Amino acid sequence: MRRLLAAALSLVALAGAGCAGDRPESVVDLDEIVIAVRPDLPSIGYRRPDGTLEGFDVDVGRYIAGRLGKKATFVPVYAAERERVVTSGRADLVVATYTISMDRKQRVLFAGPYHVSYQDILVRPDETAIRGVRDLKGRRICEVQGANAAQRVVEERGVAAEVVPVRDYAACVAALKAGRLDAITTNDVILAGLAIQDGSGLRLTNARFNEQRTGVGMRKGDIEGCEAVNRAITSMYQDGTAARLLGRWFGRSGLDLSTVAVPQFEGCS
Amino acid sequence: MTGPPVRAPGHGPGHGPGQATGQATGQVTAQAPGQVPGQAAVPASHPLTPAQLADARLAPSPARPSRSGRSGVPGRVLALTGATVTALALLFAALAVGAGSAGDGLRVIGRDAGPQVVATAGLYFGLSDMDAQVADALLMGEEYAERRRAAVARYEQRRSEANAALLKAFELSGDDRAERRTIQSVLDGLGRYEQLAGQALLLDARSGHAAGPPPAEVVGLYRQATDLMRRVLLPQAYNLTLESGTIVRATHDDNSATVPLLRAAVIVTGLAALACLALLQLYLARRFRRLVAPALLAAAAVTVAAVVGGAGALGRAQADLHTGKREGFDPVLTVARARAISNSMQGDQSRYLLDKERADTYEHTFLDKSQTVFYLPAGNLGGYHAKVAEGATDFLGLMGVQAAGADGQRVVAAYRTFQEADTTFRALVRDGRHREAVAARLGPVREAFDAYDRTLLALSQRHQAAFERAIGSGERGLDILWRLLPFAIGGLGLLVAAGVWPRLKEYR
Repeated sequence: MRRLLAAALSLVALAGAGCAGDRPESVVDLDEIVIAVRPDLPSIGYRRPDGTLEGFDVDVGRYIAGRLGKKATFVPVYAAERERVVTSGRADLVVATYTISMDRKQRVLFAGPYHVSYQDILVRPDETAIRGVRDLKGRRICEVQGANAAQRVVEERGVAAEVVPVRDYAACVAALKAGRLDAITTNDVILAGLAIQDGSGLRLTNARFNEQRTGVGMRKGDIEGCEAVNRAITSMYQDGTAARLLGRWFGRSGLDLSTVAVPQFEGCS
Repeated sequence: MTGPPVRAPGHGPGHGPGQATGQATGQVTAQAPGQVPGQAAVPASHPLTPAQLADARLAPSPARPSRSGRSGVPGRVLALTGATVTALALLFAALAVGAGSAGDGLRVIGRDAGPQVVATAGLYFGLSDMDAQVADALLMGEEYAERRRAAVARYEQRRSEANAALLKAFELSGDDRAERRTIQSVLDGLGRYEQLAGQALLLDARSGHAAGPPPAEVVGLYRQATDLMRRVLLPQAYNLTLESGTIVRATHDDNSATVPLLRAAVIVTGLAALACLALLQLYLARRFRRLVAPALLAAAAVTVAAVVGGAGALGRAQADLHTGKREGFDPVLTVARARAISNSMQGDQSRYLLDKERADTYEHTFLDKSQTVFYLPAGNLGGYHAKVAEGATDFLGLMGVQAAGADGQRVVAAYRTFQEADTTFRALVRDGRHREAVAARLGPVREAFDAYDRTLLALSQRHQAAFERAIGSGERGLDILWRLLPFAIGGLGLLVAAGVWPRLKEYR
């Protein structure tokens, strides 16, 4: 009789274990997480000569991993690869100036945003005529491969700027300084990083014309993980880490950091 | 349980084949052929046979318990009774734990997170509308003195609503420290906002401008106020609403894992208890020559009722929790988010008119929020307006799923009217007809928005009712279970005792 009872109870226990095994794996179940960051954006995600990665995104990733109680490993990811690293499972979190959009949300789950940035304009120190997006009419701006910032000026804002295709941001900066371009426009933190790295006094206009929500890309379906990351981001703002990190990486760039507050989350479901 | 009767010594080699057959088949009387019935087969030459036979086969009358039974039978009855009681105890433990966790789930969702969503959504709505009313008031100028007073009054009314919602949210946040810090931060920020908004309104009243954008210093003050509101306070209020969703999801997932397990445990332990009762019944029937023990039969019936009723109640509570989440809480949360974003969207219309320098930014945030609520692929606001006007229905975004059904169709129709009003309004601004634009914003645009918001509210109320129904039904079911549980436990205890005790007494 007791043996029967014990057998029955262990059957129940087995069924329970089976159910637990069916749950899709979440980052909260891992001991170690892989975080993909950009290697090509100074002050955001940048590969140093010794091969290590540094920048605001790297520090944010490290903070989130710490809050989740995980060991973090960083891998470099370029803009075009971000979706693939997360859908293929090569990275658990993508913290790589990954702007949240409805299109991307079809395939990637976004925690955060952990930062709200704006599209902004970087000009030479002596440039005074460009103060806002409308002043780009008839001026030359660069378009970096794979980025849509220049198109947003022309199509979304309807400003007839002259778009010059360029390989990468380093080429943009060189062309701007040489007078072959009048302005660079993209995410303000990217511009701030470029200005700091260049060091010759390139100026941010703080025009702030398109809001961009920068999120943490995750595997679709990991709602539990997404909620845990959101809680980590909340505490990053509440304990002052966000303000400290923004000041550390962008404080010298002229970027307006007067308001540092937790962004409105996208929601995990 | 009962061993084979020891009879070999009684059937020695002296017996014939006929006798052997008779012995083999004869059960009750065990007569040898030719013997007179009634004359017990107890010849002195077979001293062992009759006693053994009687003991094993004839179930002695209680008045004559056998020697071998004295030690074995009560022990076995006690062991079987012990197993029955253990199985029953496990059954009720599983039922109690199951009902406890299902009840916890219903309480968290129904009394904690559900009301928290309503409170924090109310907070967002109040804050967002405060900022929109200030923007409207600043646009009105001297021409709309009466309406300006009404807008300021509504601003103050929203402020007290927001304060009430903050208090409620604080009360419901329990001991969640992160939530409490967020609410504290909103409270601090709200004080600063009121100061800035108050200064802007005062300065605006003194300037006595015509309908349209106020003087630059007023715009500057309002900019500080609205930045504080939109970048600091509203996101925190919104995240509080989302956090309630997180709590509900986690509770629901926990419950979906544990309650069915406990329900299975109820069934398994119930079946084990029934098996024990059946064995006890069978043993007593054989040993004591009784067909049934009525008390044990009744105990089995009560056990069946407890298993069927208990497993059923747990299943229903789980189903109610699931329904309450999927058809109540989730849509209520989604519509609350949509209302929050929509309200801030209509505020962006006033800000677009108010602050020329930032007009592009506000136009973009308007598009961005429109696409968050009703997504249609469009690169700019003009393209979005065109698609909405064409009668597109394949929306993604927050309201994408909610747009189905009659209520949803009413929301979509009202939203379309609102976006059409926005199209007209922006055309006026682009043509530089600011006075008419202010009139449009305060008239048809606002009316279209209010109508759209009413359809959202109706949708939300329908889901809120479904939510309360499901939670109420689950709680009532568990309440009945808790009420019946003590009676079932007490009744079963008495019945088992009544079934076993008289038999044990026979051995004293």
